[in-house]
Amino acid sequence: MTLSAYLPTWPLSISPALWLALALVIAVLVGEGLVRYLRLPRIVGYVGIGLLLGPAGLNLIPELPAAEWRLLVDLALGILLFELGSKVNLRWLKANPWIAGTSLLEAAATFFAVFGLLLWFDVAHVTAAVVATIAIATSPAIVVRTVTESRARGQVTERLLLMTALNCIYAIICHKLAVAFMHGETGASLIHTVLQPLYLIGGSALLGWLFGSAFNSIHRHLGRHEETFSFLLFGMITIATIVASTLKLSPMLILLAAGLIVRYRRQRPRTFLPHFGSAGAVLVVLMFTANGLAANLDGLRGSMLLVVLLILVRTIAKLLSVLVLARFSGINLQQALALGIALVPMSSLTLLLTLDTATAFPDFASGLGLVLMSSIVILELAGPILVQMALRGAGETLEEKT
Amino acid sequence: MSLMPFASSRPLSIGVELELQLLNCNDYDLISSAPDMLRRIARQTHHGEIKPEMTRSMIEINTSVQHEYAALVEELHSLRNTVADAGRFLNIAVAGGGTHPFQHWSEQKIFDAPRFHYLSDLYGYLAKQFTIFGQHVHIGCPGPDEALHLLHMLSRYVPHFIALSASSPFVQGHDTGFASARLNSVFSFPLSGRAPFVLHWEDFERFFSKMTGTGVVESMKDFYWDIRPKPEFGTIEVRVCDTPLTVEIAAAIACYIQAMARYIMVERPGEPQEDDYLVYTFNRFQACRFGLDGVFIDPRTHEQRSLREDIADMLLRIADHATELQAGEAMAQIRQILATGNGASWLRQTYAHEHNLSDVMQQQAKLWMND
Repeated sequence: MTLSAYLPTWPLSISPALWLALALVIAVLVGEGLVRYLRLPRIVGYVGIGLLLGPAGLNLIPELPAAEWRLLVDLALGILLFELGSKVNLRWLKANPWIAGTSLLEAAATFFAVFGLLLWFDVAHVTAAVVATIAIATSPAIVVRTVTESRARGQVTERLLLMTALNCIYAIICHKLAVAFMHGETGASLIHTVLQPLYLIGGSALLGWLFGSAFNSIHRHLGRHEETFSFLLFGMITIATIVASTLKLSPMLILLAAGLIVRYRRQRPRTFLPHFGSAGAVLVVLMFTANGLAANLDGLRGSMLLVVLLILVRTIAKLLSVLVLARFSGINLQQALALGIALVPMSSLTLLLTLDTATAFPDFASGLGLVLMSSIVILELAGPILVQMALRGAGETLEEKT
Repeated sequence: MSLMPFASSRPLSIGVELELQLLNCNDYDLISSAPDMLRRIARQTHHGEIKPEMTRSMIEINTSVQHEYAALVEELHSLRNTVADAGRFLNIAVAGGGTHPFQHWSEQKIFDAPRFHYLSDLYGYLAKQFTIFGQHVHIGCPGPDEALHLLHMLSRYVPHFIALSASSPFVQGHDTGFASARLNSVFSFPLSGRAPFVLHWEDFERFFSKMTGTGVVESMKDFYWDIRPKPEFGTIEVRVCDTPLTVEIAAAIACYIQAMARYIMVERPGEPQEDDYLVYTFNRFQACRFGLDGVFIDPRTHEQRSLREDIADMLLRIADHATELQAGEAMAQIRQILATGNGASWLRQTYAHEHNLSDVMQQQAKLWMND
């Protein structure tokens, strides 16, 4: 017998998963530290450690392979989008049309502000439109996670959830339309320009409806046992995500629509465990760390000014829209300020839209894609802090409730 | 500080105050949205008064001075609609009921913040005590001595009012077994219970100045009595009722008290005696614990019967006065409660059907908002 029979051979061959696991452990520890000593949200630690240890930072830990990263983000974001949808009461829009108005104004203002800025920077119309649609979305991941963590409730919190769900829908749909136009411009025939978005929207809505119905009937029979139910739901979200990708539909739109449909049809809410149990919660934490690892700050080198201005005009557009209609929609200026600020974060959803565009258009990947990616990194780190500050300022987090 | 003089008010005029719970529409837990609701309501013209209460998850509606059931219920409907509309606009549900069935006080302690632990240790108990929801009924009295007379005569019937309005069986996520668990919270206050047995206003003033002299109280507001005089309104205020599950029941109970007051003022069925209070706490406990099925001991004859029987008996005795006050519909409502049960039994039935206190709370809000 030789030493090599029972000792590992040098250099050690290490599974890439170890690095992610290691990053996860450190990220969670740092996250706890942030909460305990600085009263900052945990996500900042998750994303920050990924960023710090990953290729964009100290380069100690390699980036996750693209396919694994994508699967992880699809699942975790799917859980968060379904969770967001199921927390939102669409009937509220009927009782208070001013909220619908605020949401539309906020989305339109964001689009035109970003679109105008990009034209000013001599970006082609279609490309500017694609970026502007992506900028509409507020990060559902950061919003849901921060609201859950700070156990916030109140007018600002509920409007934040509702308006985030709505602007994600606008962003996904408008992005598909804009991308279809981009295809039209690069040579595809008119029929595809029209049919592709129709297929995406119609198909996603149909699948969302099917998912919601299946969810409702399973819930009716098994809802009493919370744990069993969480497992089932988790499986269903996975299936929906994979089916959606297979059919080239938008998994994000499907799961968000499914959540909304579940809430709308049941009329009465159901309180689930946060992220539907600990398996979901682990995925969510992993997603944020993986996002940090995948962070790309190349855009800051070439187009720092554009990145800063993009963040600035987007923030101002959202903030002003909310402030203008605040009085009519029944909140005071302080609450409107909080809501406007809380709508600023960008994260996974925006990242996926950016990457999807980059895959289809290599020019985009090396140009405006980088600008968006840098903006996302900044708003993913600052976002949770902004949301927490806003909700605290509005007196809606639990620790203020004493 | 001396007591203000007893104002004059029209005899048998009535006013109703209801403390209401504000709920979020996700899990139907209490939500601290009173400022949002009041800001919204301030932009509209409405009847009566709508004002904040001790904690931010409650608001109070007050009717103006009323004289009969029809107008009272109309004003309450209008107040309810104002509040319910504001609630719908803000995605906030509004409900009656004496307690919230599952406030997460214990859960809040889990939250790890030293400051929170400290404040919760210091004030948590009082906050808990005060997040309860009651109905107060004012009855106009021609003068201060008449007010004290009515107060002590009505004391015999306090268990009636408790049993009819009882709608707080659930506290902290559990069925307490009580029909009105809310009153248990009130009873733990040192100045709760019954007013001192004093039948002349000068004597009452003397009692009051002795009490203020001790430094224990500063104003009438510091007394948490079941019935207390309200000199600035010229009324006595019956404070034992839970906020019922609908405004109709609230109006009916107010008119039941009004008809009883007329019976006492007009027929003068005997004079109040100190010994009437020998059975007071026993009867009151029975009403809180068992509601309409509670045992009632007549303070004069010592006869035992169920509260349901005693109320049915009383309805017959005050029938003419109710007719005189045009409270026929209110009395029919009271009979209905005797037949089908009070709010506590509605809540228990709904829980048996829904298995979930959030869902019970949603049904309860639906009922109150008239959705």
